[in-house]
Amino acid sequence: MSLKLQPTNVHLIEVRLKSEFNDAEGAAALALLREQGLSSLKEVRTGRLYEIAGSLSANQAHQAGKELLCDAVTQEFRLVSPAPAPMNGMNCWRVEVWLKPSVCDPVGATVIEAIAEGGLPKPAAARCATLYLLNGRALKAQIEKAMIKSLANPLIHHVVVTEAHS
Amino acid sequence: MKKPQVLILRAAGTNCELETANAFKSVGGDPELVHISELRTGKKKLMDYAILAIPGGFSYGDDVGAGKVLANQVRHTLTDLRQFVRLGRPVIGICNGFQVLVKAGILPHSNSCEQSASFTVNDSGKFETRWTHLRINTQSSCLFFKGLPEMIELPVAHGEGKLVLRSPRLLEDLKKTKSIALQYVTEDGKLLGYPHNPNGSIFNIAGLTNPEGNVLGLMPHPERFVTLHHHPNWTRQTYRKAPVGLEMFKNAVDYAR
Amino acid sequence: MSQLAETNPASFPILGKSTKELRVLSDSRHLSLSDAEWAAIQAHYKTLKREPSLAEIETIAQTWSEHCKHKTFTSPIRYTEGKKTRTIKNLFQETIVAATGALKKPWCLSLFKDNAGVVAFGKKWALAFKVETHNHPSALEPYGGAATGVGGVVRDILGVGLGAKPVLNTDTFCFGRPDWTGALPEGSHHPTRTLRGVVAGVRDYGNRMGIPTAGGGIWFDDDYRLNPLVFCGTVGLMPRWAVKKEVKPGDLIVTVGGRTGRDGLHGATFSSANLGADAPSSAVQIGHAIQEKRVLDALLAARDKKLYGSVTDCGAGGFSSAIGELGASCGARVRLEAAPLKASDLDSWEIWLSESQERMVLAVPPKNLKALETVFAAEGCELAVLGEFTKTGRLEVTHHGCVVVDLDMGFLHTGLPRAERAAVWNAPASVKPAGGASKKPSEALREMIGHLNVCSREWVIRQYDHEVQGGAIVKPLQGVRHDGPGDACVIWPHAATGDMEDFSCFAVGHGLNPDYGRIDPYWMALAAVDEALRNLTCVGADPARAALLDNFCWASPEDPKQLGALIRAAEGCRDAAKGFGAPFISGKDSLFNQSKDEKGKDLPIPGTLLVSAVAPVPDGRKAVTMDFKGPGNALYLIGRTNDELGGSLYHRVLGRTGGEVPKVSPAAAIDGFKALHAAMTRGHVLSAHDLSEGGLALCAAEMGFTGEFGCLLDLDECPRDPRIYSNETLLFSESPSRILVEVKPENESAFLRHFGKSAKSAMVRRVGQTTANPILKVTGLEGTTCLEESLKELKEAWQTALPKILG
Repeated sequence: MSLKLQPTNVHLIEVRLKSEFNDAEGAAALALLREQGLSSLKEVRTGRLYEIAGSLSANQAHQAGKELLCDAVTQEFRLVSPAPAPMNGMNCWRVEVWLKPSVCDPVGATVIEAIAEGGLPKPAAARCATLYLLNGRALKAQIEKAMIKSLANPLIHHVVVTEAHS
Repeated sequence: MKKPQVLILRAAGTNCELETANAFKSVGGDPELVHISELRTGKKKLMDYAILAIPGGFSYGDDVGAGKVLANQVRHTLTDLRQFVRLGRPVIGICNGFQVLVKAGILPHSNSCEQSASFTVNDSGKFETRWTHLRINTQSSCLFFKGLPEMIELPVAHGEGKLVLRSPRLLEDLKKTKSIALQYVTEDGKLLGYPHNPNGSIFNIAGLTNPEGNVLGLMPHPERFVTLHHHPNWTRQTYRKAPVGLEMFKNAVDYAR
Repeated sequence: MSQLAETNPASFPILGKSTKELRVLSDSRHLSLSDAEWAAIQAHYKTLKREPSLAEIETIAQTWSEHCKHKTFTSPIRYTEGKKTRTIKNLFQETIVAATGALKKPWCLSLFKDNAGVVAFGKKWALAFKVETHNHPSALEPYGGAATGVGGVVRDILGVGLGAKPVLNTDTFCFGRPDWTGALPEGSHHPTRTLRGVVAGVRDYGNRMGIPTAGGGIWFDDDYRLNPLVFCGTVGLMPRWAVKKEVKPGDLIVTVGGRTGRDGLHGATFSSANLGADAPSSAVQIGHAIQEKRVLDALLAARDKKLYGSVTDCGAGGFSSAIGELGASCGARVRLEAAPLKASDLDSWEIWLSESQERMVLAVPPKNLKALETVFAAEGCELAVLGEFTKTGRLEVTHHGCVVVDLDMGFLHTGLPRAERAAVWNAPASVKPAGGASKKPSEALREMIGHLNVCSREWVIRQYDHEVQGGAIVKPLQGVRHDGPGDACVIWPHAATGDMEDFSCFAVGHGLNPDYGRIDPYWMALAAVDEALRNLTCVGADPARAALLDNFCWASPEDPKQLGALIRAAEGCRDAAKGFGAPFISGKDSLFNQSKDEKGKDLPIPGTLLVSAVAPVPDGRKAVTMDFKGPGNALYLIGRTNDELGGSLYHRVLGRTGGEVPKVSPAAAIDGFKALHAAMTRGHVLSAHDLSEGGLALCAAEMGFTGEFGCLLDLDECPRDPRIYSNETLLFSESPSRILVEVKPENESAFLRHFGKSAKSAMVRRVGQTTANPILKVTGLEGTTCLEESLKELKEAWQTALPKILG
């Protein structure tokens, strides 16, 4: 599925659990990645990424993030530029797990509907990814291998591993 | 005597509406399943009903967070909900319904209707179904608990049921206003951790009410304990307790009469 | 694939092509058509004097696939058993269908032809039950595969008759052992990952749909490590009037639910192929449970307004299969441009064959369309008119005016050439048990109770919402602390009937033991039926009203030995159904469950049969659980113990082979079950638990630690083959049809009367009593204590085995 949309029409919204809240999903992911040999990993925090394509302006995307995609108490969100620049990671890694374009994305479907119901322009498409923020010593290749053995399946997922600030 | 009309709110993914309706029916209520779209178009009106129930389920799959999408719809569509509450009419949100009430800013009660609490994934990291021991706050005036014993049992079934608060001060406020209606406890009434507190909720909170006591939100499912035979131990002859879930629905219907 | 997509989809030349060329074609498009099938297709098009279109070939391939046509079960087989050879014309008709036909049960309402089997439930209701497998997709993507497996069987229930409301999900799995440390071939998931993913998939789809998952089981064996089995079952209820469905020419073809995308192409043909690294990724999908919930809500509302005449689900083969089946006896005209799509660049054949989830097809009288649209719009569920059913006897499909398919329904549905296969079965010589060092009974018991095939499934069960719909009045986890192993759940379907005064309930039980099949699949089948009925009887269901489902999962039927074993199992099903008086009402087979291991060697699964049984519990308030209820109560053992340790758990933990496989005597067994049922309806039974893996010792231990009372047993009192002189045999033999029952002292004579009058052949004897002290104490044949174990310790071993591995 190629959407052939102008890049300006694509917003990437990142939602993360605030650091003061216990991240049970992250703890489960940490255990699985350690099982796969990433033994020096110290912490995993999780989040969601929403890629929303259509006629939303940046302000409207911000509104969607604030009112719909982000919990007012437990989460924080930001609009990310589509291609974040690589950074000096200091043992911090950012892993995005996207469903391949040919695979049905039920969360994306809900997001499209909910944005339209909230009075904003209906997006042409929306996809959702799971975000893992890894803290600990590891090599990129190790992370990729551990991911596809535990949290992602290359048959349906597309995994992006980058270095990142914590 | 006229049967009080109960609006049981539906949306895509609501799934405890039929047993909730059956429970209201068996205690003399007149339940009606109403889809949120019927309220949006104005075909149905909240104020025509005596009681509002938001049942359990996975509204919109709990995508983007448990109850979040339906909570937004409730904010936008059920604009007369605050008035409904102010008039003292009973409102109950069960499981997903509780999550909706919290994310729509109805519970914990505040004048601004701003969301001040929320839910995160259970500390166990897993969806869990289990029967829990609960203590009713006898200081609170929640109408649903009238005449019930302090210690009760009800089942929970959720993955995102850990109640968290915006600030520690809020917990003190909730205690002061007697808004903590229900807590997870051990069989002998102690506040202990998992599995007694199945999700890790702050101060073992299982249910919240408003200071007036006409709104109740709770994670456990009262509609799953409306006959003795719902209890996991009914086949043991030592077990002979009344089904407390049924009493809760009866209290609401009696109150609305 | 991309090359082919660029060629003209309207033409797909096959005339004049050699067998070899056609094989290449078949492989490259995942068609799974055999040489004989290609020849039949070539002959058909030769008479038509034209080439087929791509969509036609795809339609034929999926209609003729093993998945849709069950060729193995319906084609002739030359079967050699020992020295005798005979021809089986149609295995399915001659075993399963013949047995059901002979039983002529008036309460069977719909058998084998619809999307599920249907039996009467009380006077006003009908109960539909179906179990499907989703093995290959779950091997590739455990979470998505299992979730869409649940979604698929739920749609079967929505698509039976005019649609039933799902009231129970039951899911059984066979996995490789999660502690596997050996190598695995490229692309295979570790069994632990498969387990976690499958459980999560079943959990997320079932919980979101609001259907309680309250039944099932798990079996671990290393030979499932490359080919896990995922059995998804659903029970539904509908009013009696909704059992019949009819398509009338002129009815509109209406699709409802999800949109059509490129996902899930070739699922039907793929399921007949060996799993390998080249599996098409399109065969895997992620489910959208809320979409299906919308379909469920809208469909049942439309059903009650009687807005449509027939319905079926879009499963394997998508529209092609659904519309092809609905219109099989009349004809159908379809305009593909009307289908709502996920992506605009789909080819005609892709729209026609896509297996996108959460779609159903209805036959709607034109006058009802407006009303139907209103119902579906209210639930936010999309609907589109694709065409109409005709009187032409043809399947005609166009896309923007171009002809895509123009097939004769007769050729499509009956043109499949039947190839004869060979099968052999050599009865195993009776082998004396051999190998393995003996262990003390206490040591063996401790090992057995923590064995993966016995230990607690709490880690899995708690993740399922087994209480939604408020109907689980006997729950999967039982006893004082709600954590013991129940035999079956009892469901009180008031959310479907709307009647809280009526306590008519039903129960579902299962039987599965591939270890018996390794010795003789015939006895495996009888044991599976026996186990399913035992489980039902233990909770208070009426064994005389049980209906059965079969699910065969086998390796390649092209191997004569595998096929011979399959025939043995099918004949076992036939004899069990007749012997127990329990008809099969539905079933399914999944074949070719074998894969190349890391060394390139074929690893077939053990021949596996899952028997699922459903029976009414006339009054749910009389149901029984398996936990001991108090001290000082009498314990009765129903059924005779023989020296049957072949394939037993005891042999497995000792590492011993050989021995007699448990053999069922259905007539004696059903008499015992009926007598027990009668005693239960009079309230004479406190608890009951069946003896299965691990025999008497395990059964008593589980009843004890679940009820937190102990017991004293005397092996010399066991009804048994007098030739048994070994305590171990009496403790651990897995002879079928046995149930341990707890009875209050004051009810003993009343309890025994049920066995005296009505069932002379049933054996029942007092073998001990319950005690306050939570200890399992057994007196051996020589009159001294041969086993004394703390139940607390046994329970701990039983509870911790799975969490230790899974966390």
